[in-house]
Amino acid sequence: MAGLELLSDQGYRVDGRRAGELRKIQARMGVFAQADGSAYIEQGNTKALAVVYGPHEIRGSRARALPDRALVNCQYSSATFSTGERKRRPHGDRKSCEMGLQLRQTFEAAVLTQLHPRSQIDIYVQVLQADGGTYAACVNAATLAVLDAGIPMRDFVCACSAGFVDGTALADLSHVEEAAGGPQLALALLPSSGQIALLEMDARLHEDQLEQVLETAAQAARDVHTLLDRVVRQHVQEASILLGD
Amino acid sequence: MAEAAAVVAESLAGYRARAARAVLEQVVLPGEELLLPGQEDGEGPGSAGERPLRLNAGARSGGRVVCGPGLRRCGDRLLVTKCGRLRHKEPGSGNGGGVYWVDSQQKRYVPVKGDHVIGIVTAKSGDIFKVDVGGSEPASLSYLSFEGATKRNRPNVQVGDLIYGQFVVANKDMEPEMVCIDSCGRANGMGVIGQDGLLFKVTLGLIRRLLAPDCEILQEVGKLYPLEIVFGMNGRIWVKAKTIQQTLILANILEACEHMTADQRKQIFSRLAES
Amino acid sequence: MKETPLSNCERRFLLRAIEEKKRLDGRQTYDYRNIKISFGTDYGCCTVELGKTRVLGQVSCELVSPKLNRATEGILFFNLELSQMAAPAFEPGRQSDLLVKLNRLLERCLRNSKCIDTESLCVVAGEKVWQIRVDLHLLNHDGNIIDAASIAAIVALCHFRRPDVSVQGDEVTLYTLEERDPVPLSIHHMPICVSFAFFQQGTYLLVDPNEREERVMDGLLVIAMNKHREICTIQSSGGIMLLKDQVLRCSKIAGVKVAEITELIQKALANDQKVRKEGGKFGFAESIANQRITAFRMEKAPIDTSDVEEKAEEIISEAEPPSEVVSKPVLWTPGTAQIGEGIENSWGDLEDSEKEDEGGSDEAIILDSIKMDTGEVSNIGSQDAPIVLSDSEEEEMIILEPDKNPKKIRTQTISATQVKAPSKKPVKKRKKKRAAN
Repeated sequence: MAGLELLSDQGYRVDGRRAGELRKIQARMGVFAQADGSAYIEQGNTKALAVVYGPHEIRGSRARALPDRALVNCQYSSATFSTGERKRRPHGDRKSCEMGLQLRQTFEAAVLTQLHPRSQIDIYVQVLQADGGTYAACVNAATLAVLDAGIPMRDFVCACSAGFVDGTALADLSHVEEAAGGPQLALALLPSSGQIALLEMDARLHEDQLEQVLETAAQAARDVHTLLDRVVRQHVQEASILLGD
Repeated sequence: MAEAAAVVAESLAGYRARAARAVLEQVVLPGEELLLPGQEDGEGPGSAGERPLRLNAGARSGGRVVCGPGLRRCGDRLLVTKCGRLRHKEPGSGNGGGVYWVDSQQKRYVPVKGDHVIGIVTAKSGDIFKVDVGGSEPASLSYLSFEGATKRNRPNVQVGDLIYGQFVVANKDMEPEMVCIDSCGRANGMGVIGQDGLLFKVTLGLIRRLLAPDCEILQEVGKLYPLEIVFGMNGRIWVKAKTIQQTLILANILEACEHMTADQRKQIFSRLAES
Repeated sequence: MKETPLSNCERRFLLRAIEEKKRLDGRQTYDYRNIKISFGTDYGCCTVELGKTRVLGQVSCELVSPKLNRATEGILFFNLELSQMAAPAFEPGRQSDLLVKLNRLLERCLRNSKCIDTESLCVVAGEKVWQIRVDLHLLNHDGNIIDAASIAAIVALCHFRRPDVSVQGDEVTLYTLEERDPVPLSIHHMPICVSFAFFQQGTYLLVDPNEREERVMDGLLVIAMNKHREICTIQSSGGIMLLKDQVLRCSKIAGVKVAEITELIQKALANDQKVRKEGGKFGFAESIANQRITAFRMEKAPIDTSDVEEKAEEIISEAEPPSEVVSKPVLWTPGTAQIGEGIENSWGDLEDSEKEDEGGSDEAIILDSIKMDTGEVSNIGSQDAPIVLSDSEEEEMIILEPDKNPKKIRTQTISATQVKAPSKKPVKKRKKKRAAN
């Protein structure tokens, strides 16, 4: 690959991380007052906000209501200033629609939708700054927001991306690493059961290496889980202290 | 004989309608006009208007003529509205008259009063079920129109269940209505179809062929495996045999019947019977 | 228009059948339906049939100014259209979720995997580049749109030729087809999507789900791969929970399937090129005359006889009815009723077609039949040079190959003995190959 060396001989990446190392994750739950649940997450320089409403009455035509489970509605938008080049439209293009679909699918799998038939759960995600791994950041933010809203879930959903450079799988790609054009894989995992709620991959990767990359991504997702777990515990503790327990 | 007449009729088709008798069992096309027996001899289009045909009178030599599907009355003639084979059924009483209809290979079902159909329950609303029968609108089915149903004793019908029933109301101005009882209040085979078995769709023409009283296919199928089968006039067939495998074989044979000659079919049946 | 609701009994039956490893159309778990590829008169036009699902692909090109951030790269644009022609449930003019998903998948599968050298599409850097537009139309929907669409897209791209251009100083000259031979696109590899449907929370898996199976499935995993076994795209959808092992197993199966499909595509392309070079007749119009691609062609009607051991006899016998069709012309078109899994009869069906009926395990047999087939093609040298690759798990089977001379079929004067003769040939050949192996 011309120019940039993504992985040095000593095994360090462009931003000084090791191959399997995550970027710094900071998260906060309950950032908005109006919403039923909300969360903010920073994964390195990728920043995302998630807001959850629901379960509430079906909005729009009643015909959309599902008789046996809740309807999950996800909308993804990324701020016009989130990328290097200013975007014209924050949402509505094919990529955002697809991202919304993928989020929906992830949370349909993770949320126990059958407990709330004929209702709707809205998940809105906004990316403030995109520096690689937007899907993962969105999923992680949305998980925290759903937990904050108290909607019953099977498990955490933790997502992480992974790539593959010079025979080594890299976890949690940054924008520079994504732009280099190597394979990139995004994975949403239910950490306790090891089930994959969503898997997507782009660009070419030989079949034999798939397992390695999958494993790296899954491990990274489990690491994310440990971090998120801590955030949630802390948040719940703070909340209960306020209530005077 | 009939062929010779048809050739003559065809050559004249440019300016003259063909006699219905002559084109029996032949393909007719929309827009063609057919002459009824009794008119065909020597009557040109000019003179036809002077002697109006009394379709309902039954006094003429022909007796009563009934226009079946695919035919309309147009003045004193029959106007073909669908393409297919022209069929005729002699009336029980005497010569002439009878029922004429066109056997077309339609796929879309149009509800007809008295037809037995297979429907899928799509919704329960209050006292009625909405049933999809493949027509232009869903049919309604009251929960009271099952055998033994009373206000207290409701039938157990879930959304998605299959219903075998009969149309009591089916016309172009009203919502079609189904019942699952006959005039004496007996089920007579109608009602909710069991939870197993396979439903599939065939053309309406095949259903009619299968339901014909002298249908060989059905007898041959019956020899293969013991089976339960329901035919809906709306082109749906439900079939159930002992095992999934047998059910699949039966369903595939019936679907294939649409495209097989009698000989091919016989071969296949004999082969299946051997195995 | 609303689609017909799925009844509980169909759902239950399908699921039970899947549990018993049986499918409605008599396929095995990992079987594809028949794939047929036919080409139009123009370059870059093709239809792909996957069972009853058919997709029309058309590639067009024009000179445009490049995107600002990619001054030296041509532009690739994909658009899949789901018209109401294909199925009543599709709404016109609306970007449904399904459509967005399919379009994005195609884009990711073909553009992001860099299967086409976009830099070779640059004419004058920063000023003029080729924009290649791939339009895909779904003509009939019977499940698994994405596989059919991805095959159609890559076949159309491979088949496409763009007009030649020359640059002298500032002057760009575009040559018409008569002046200079058009130039094919440079294609690095051919990514092909393979869909896996999951049932009962991932307990059961099927390849190439048809429409009814799609309606009862829990989720779908699409893997795009090329024949070098490089994965180009993975996408899971529907609310299923996958396990890592399942993904890996699927990728293995995908590798096998992609190899087969690529083989077919290359053969079809080579065949078309040969026919064009020889000045034979080609294009859809030609196919219509032979009733190859018309809609009212005979549909196949296979009968599930899955217990192959028990019923191999019967399957063989059921390959015979076609002879009758030829000796005694019947109303329908020269396709014929097909019965029994794995038996494809291609009487009068002179199209490039393939029958794939093997599970992942019997690769050896596949190769076998492919070799045999190439031999066949060179032998024939008829205008239409049919490709029929057919195979199945049964040991004793008869493949009815199309007759050497298609004209015979049209005149329909073949006696029964003539009919039998070509049908035996492939079997013999195969034995020879076996012996050689």
